[in-house]
Amino acid sequence: MVEIAEIAVSAAELKLGTEPVQGAGVRLSLAEGKVRYSMRARDPKVLEGVLGREVPKRIGGTDAGIACLGPDEWYVVLPDNFDLPRGEGLPVSVVDVSSRALGLVLEGPGALAVLCSGCPLDLAKMGVGRATRTVFETVEVVIWREAEDRWHVEVWRSFATWLWNAFLAAMPDAK
Amino acid sequence: MLLIHCPYCDEARPEVEFAYGGEAHIARPVDPSTYSDEQWEEFLYIRSNPRGRHHERWRHTHGCGRFFNAVRDTVSDVFETTYKAGEARK
Ligand SMILES: [Zn+2]
Repeated sequence: MVEIAEIAVSAAELKLGTEPVQGAGVRLSLAEGKVRYSMRARDPKVLEGVLGREVPKRIGGTDAGIACLGPDEWYVVLPDNFDLPRGEGLPVSVVDVSSRALGLVLEGPGALAVLCSGCPLDLAKMGVGRATRTVFETVEVVIWREAEDRWHVEVWRSFATWLWNAFLAAMPDAK
Repeated sequence: MLLIHCPYCDEARPEVEFAYGGEAHIARPVDPSTYSDEQWEEFLYIRSNPRGRHHERWRHTHGCGRFFNAVRDTVSDVFETTYKAGEARK
């Protein structure tokens, strides 16, 4: 039997807040009520036929909840009443990955500085409405700039507690 | 921070988003069963290991996820160019 060592941080410290936290110029909250899909297709037109709508073609572009992450890969975050067609039998993959990730939302004029504390990208130059996969410290995230001062960060759920606390640590006067 | 230009994203991105993938343009044998031990050893292990221009594979793991090729100087660590997988050797 494998024994799993206890983590060196107390459970009390590693709490993923379900309540938003307000800091000086920045608010951190959990994006609830979302469905997520990972979509792959070599030919975007086939995927568009399945979905009955256009998908962004440029890497980093987004359109109404669909982000183009790679030349054949899209990531979807939509309110949880959406159900996308799966395109059975066609050369596409539309997979519900809702439970795989959580969304953390940073809002306010101080949000950019919190993200920049761990992300190596020049996020100040990232346009509103753009999304990209990248890292925060060593944790993979998808960063979505929803508005000038509103950033949606998707993270795999086993990393979410750590990321929440890392954001908190970078938020001035968080309470 | 070392920036690497991803030919798919068409952007210079931080090195930590990438993973190194070894020497480029090494074709996998179509029929390995016809290979002698020496040929198989050559395919698996023998690399050019140059001092200077090196053709190598990289993957934009924490970005678009794509493999691509790069020419990097193994002395200065300067990337001369990057290009999409499948394109001719530069
Ligand atoms: Zn890329």
